[in-house]
Amino acid sequence: MVEAKNLCMKYGKGKQMALDEVNFFIDRGEFVFFVGSSGAGKSTLLKLIIRELKPSKGVLKVFNRDVSRLPRHRLPFLRRNIGMVFQDFRLMEERTVYDNVAFAMIVIGSSRREIKRRVPHVLNLVGLQDKAKAKITDLSGGEQQRVGLARAIVNRPAMIMADEPTGNLDPGTALDIMNLLRSINLRGTTVLVATHNREIVDHFKKRVLYLENGKLIGDEQKGIYTNVH
Amino acid sequence: MFISGFIYILGETLKGMYRNRWMCITSTGVVMVTLLMLGLFMVVNLNVRHITESVKEQVEMVVYIEEDADRATLEELGSLITNHREVARVEYVSSEEHMGRLRQQLGGVLEGYDADLDNPLLASFEVSTEYPEAVVRLADEFETYPGVSAVFYGQGYVENLFEVTRVVQIVGLALMAGLAITAVFLISHTIKLTVMMRKKEITIMKYVGATNWFIRWPFLMEGLLMGFVGAVLPLAIIHYLYRISVEWITVNELMFINLLPLETVMAELSLYLIPLGIGLGILGSMFSMGRFLRV
Repeated sequence: MVEAKNLCMKYGKGKQMALDEVNFFIDRGEFVFFVGSSGAGKSTLLKLIIRELKPSKGVLKVFNRDVSRLPRHRLPFLRRNIGMVFQDFRLMEERTVYDNVAFAMIVIGSSRREIKRRVPHVLNLVGLQDKAKAKITDLSGGEQQRVGLARAIVNRPAMIMADEPTGNLDPGTALDIMNLLRSINLRGTTVLVATHNREIVDHFKKRVLYLENGKLIGDEQKGIYTNVH
Repeated sequence: MFISGFIYILGETLKGMYRNRWMCITSTGVVMVTLLMLGLFMVVNLNVRHITESVKEQVEMVVYIEEDADRATLEELGSLITNHREVARVEYVSSEEHMGRLRQQLGGVLEGYDADLDNPLLASFEVSTEYPEAVVRLADEFETYPGVSAVFYGQGYVENLFEVTRVVQIVGLALMAGLAITAVFLISHTIKLTVMMRKKEITIMKYVGATNWFIRWPFLMEGLLMGFVGAVLPLAIIHYLYRISVEWITVNELMFINLLPLETVMAELSLYLIPLGIGLGILGSMFSMGRFLRV
């Protein structure tokens, strides 16, 4: 599903490599943590997968297609298969919970009937069925992240990518969000999570890819953060 | 799919305009003032052109025939001028007819003068051209024809008239282009501010897989609406001002000021200002969107 071969990324003309000869293969339905300290290259990797950035060297295949060769007009169709979850939630604060989730469906041209059927179902999945009409500013951090998750899964993407999804949440809420991601994964969706939250990684015992200064220094099934650090 | 997308775009356009209503009103106002100036200038330009055109239409030339030209030369000359593709109308005036006209103009001054014995006036062809601007060139050409004594067309005055018309047109075009560029700048600046305010929303749209056109449409519609309103209001103002000007001229019996009719002016202005307003609005949005779409 995602395959990196000698993947390199350098920002501007600097000598420091954000990613340096990174190789890995992630299969359909896997749950993978990208771990490492700030600046290790986790977010860069996610940005490359969604083609927000183009690699400086190497090959990155997503859904069996080399994303660096993907023409610009095809990008929306790649992104429709990847649900994104962000540390800062990136929600439209002046709109309701329902509108934020429906927005992702409107953007890809879903019918009104489909939106009316699907959005309540997804809000039910993330436990926000009673908050559909609430404004984003009236929600707690955990609830906001649930909205972000609902928006990411509403179009049934093949893969979910979460960049520090628990970074702004207390430990209890962070665990709730991770449990939600796990249940999404159990339904067959591939989940990639970039994080430096040691407790979370150790608790879930999933595949872990360790990044340090842009290099991939470890790849373990059922890994724990403390194996390397 | 198409309908939900269209409803979304229309809704987003109106919501976006409502959320930024003060900026929208201000910028539509500025566009309106710019297009009003442009429209007023066009009215002046149209009327100057109308007046100069009607003066130009009166430009004729007189081709005088040599006194000793024989009948064959005269016929050949007449056929050459009549069949010239840039000539609209030709009238032969004999020396006797010229004398008749002179007698009419001068009244009793020529009483007793026997023109049949000693008529100094030359016969001529009075020529109107298809385009008034061709007069000078044709006059030069006709002077070389056999049997032609001289060609007169109001040398000096005609060249000045054409020069003034040309300058008025060039200055008019330059001013209109300047005003149009100002309007593009104003609209593009306003929409850029709106886009910046909605940058987060655009980024989210990109992440969930919106195409660039899906993102562009609400902003293009906003530009289109701003351009349309910014063009229609000046048209209404000009309609009112022009109507009272025409009425004032009629009441004060200044009929020598030959203004174009109200309907003609409004039809011409609508033909230019509305598409121009809409075009400027769309162009302004296109300019301001560019870099925000590269996510």
